[in-house]
Amino acid sequence: MLKIENLHASINGSEILKGLSLEINAGEVHAIMGPNGAGKSTLASIIAGKEDYEISSGNISFDGKDLLELSIEDRAREGVFLAFQYPVEIPGVSNVNFLKTAINEIREHKGLTPLSAKDFLSLVKQKSALVNLDASLASRAVNEGFSGGEKKRNEIFQMAMLEPKLAVLDETDSGLDIDALRIVAGGVNALKSQENATLVITHYQRLLDYIVPDFVHVLYDGKIVKTGGKELALELEEKGYDWIKSAE
Amino acid sequence: MTGSLIDFCKQLEPTSLKLPELLLQSAKDAVEFQHHFPSTRDEAWKYTRLGRVAALKLTPVKINQSPERLPSSDTIDIVFEKETWHCNEPLDGLHLTFSGDLDADAWNACTLHGHVQHINALTAQGGVAIHVDANAILTKPIRIIHRLQGENTAAILHHQLVLGDQASAQLEVIFEGTSENSYTNVLFDFFIGAGANLHTDLLQQTHGTHYGFYSQRIFQKKDSTFALQTLTVNTHFTRNEVEVFSQEEGTHTQLYGAFIGKDSNHIDNHTYVHHKAPNCTSDENYKGVLSGKATGVFNGKVKVYQDAQKINAFQSNKNILLSESANINAKPELEIYADDVKCSHGSTTGQLDQQALFFLRARGISEAKATEMLIKGFMAEIVGAVKSSRIQDELQTLLD
Repeated sequence: MLKIENLHASINGSEILKGLSLEINAGEVHAIMGPNGAGKSTLASIIAGKEDYEISSGNISFDGKDLLELSIEDRAREGVFLAFQYPVEIPGVSNVNFLKTAINEIREHKGLTPLSAKDFLSLVKQKSALVNLDASLASRAVNEGFSGGEKKRNEIFQMAMLEPKLAVLDETDSGLDIDALRIVAGGVNALKSQENATLVITHYQRLLDYIVPDFVHVLYDGKIVKTGGKELALELEEKGYDWIKSAE
Repeated sequence: MTGSLIDFCKQLEPTSLKLPELLLQSAKDAVEFQHHFPSTRDEAWKYTRLGRVAALKLTPVKINQSPERLPSSDTIDIVFEKETWHCNEPLDGLHLTFSGDLDADAWNACTLHGHVQHINALTAQGGVAIHVDANAILTKPIRIIHRLQGENTAAILHHQLVLGDQASAQLEVIFEGTSENSYTNVLFDFFIGAGANLHTDLLQQTHGTHYGFYSQRIFQKKDSTFALQTLTVNTHFTRNEVEVFSQEEGTHTQLYGAFIGKDSNHIDNHTYVHHKAPNCTSDENYKGVLSGKATGVFNGKVKVYQDAQKINAFQSNKNILLSESANINAKPELEIYADDVKCSHGSTTGQLDQQALFFLRARGISEAKATEMLIKGFMAEIVGAVKSSRIQDELQTLLD
């Protein structure tokens, strides 16, 4: 589904990704772990299409399409979803209104007719229950006055509404207490299928107790330096990243 | 040197309103004394150039005095169109008069300030005087529509609204139509009685090279409430002057504004709130979005007089510039002579929130649609304060 080959990317002249390669197939859950500054969030931003980065070489294909050639919105319409590490607050734009616009623009892209108001509302009801998001939050302005946990649940709610092929969760566990973590992870697991894939980016092994990965990759200094099964996460938790660094 | 104010007034007709002789004389003296249109050296006109206005060749629009009756509708309609004005049957407690029919006594409470009001005093050709009896609660909104059309026309009107004690009304004022090289000068005096409540939504959406000057003066008595939403959308040239006189205790004033400019539009909002009495509140919130080479001006002044203690005055102005060449000049001003007051003011200008734009696009929304959503969101608190459903609808369409 997603194939990243030898990706080099820099921002303001400093190189962050230095030859990163990664392949994700449908039905798989991948986790990327690594120390601060390794380039984890950069990778997430580049997949979603953030324009601040300069790609000097390498390529990313998504379902056979050249992802780097697509606009931010076209990537989303093709099925890429980024759950933000720091969800933005947008005063005056209601959560529901924005999601309705998003869903209908994605449907239009796929040649489908817009969702009726009734179908849309029943979808909101069903999907907000998945992450215990209060219905009143769904109708409020996007993330405005939401707690940290509510913002993250709102991200997973949006993911549930948009049903992406590839979900990239950028440090979704940061700032969450154990209960919120369980809810968020529960939402992600409920959305898992053989047709979609999940890329979990995290610092800590804790999240992976709830979202169990098929593969764990260690990102260090702009490259994936080690790949293993879920047990690699436990090993990292125990030994720390220095173990990887010294193995370099 | 800007053009001659005297010559500008000469091409217009002398006023048909019966202003008190002293008032007329003061306007004449002021025009003689100033001689020329103000230049950018004058503080009140620092960012608004009047050269093009001074050079306009104009034919005044004379308004006929007896209104034609409009069919009854959900609103009390007053329509100014070319040389005519129409209105429909008023409600109990509401009286509509041609302002030219008012006696000199009716204008006594006013003094004139600035060249917009001076020109108006000397050349106004009519207007509507709205009188709401004390204790009357109007069940229908009053709607004044100005359809401005033609070339090189000058529509100069002086309206008045007197709201009796404990009365309540909702007013909509609309300026629309397409005109070229035309001039509009509308002075509107509001007298808000004790305990009375007036909500006014003002929409300016004139098309063509139209120069609009709008001056509102509001006199508030004890415990009265006045709310004004000024919405200016893609007008070639607009100057708004709003001056509020809080004369007695317990008044509340709300001044909200939203202005949207594109191409080479110029939109200027000047407000001045005089807190002369204690225990009053005022809340001012203006938001602007400018694109292309549009320019905007916000100058909001609040003055708290010495004996006006326990005043709560809030003022905010926020602007978004969508292009490199759009430009805003913002100047919030506070002048406080009392020592027990709560006042705040602030102004910010920036670009569209790039993080928010990225977020919306990352959810599949096109850049154009996402921009539109963010602008709507930015304007939401102003548009939300509008009570007129017609103006609400128009704004939603205009923002789409």
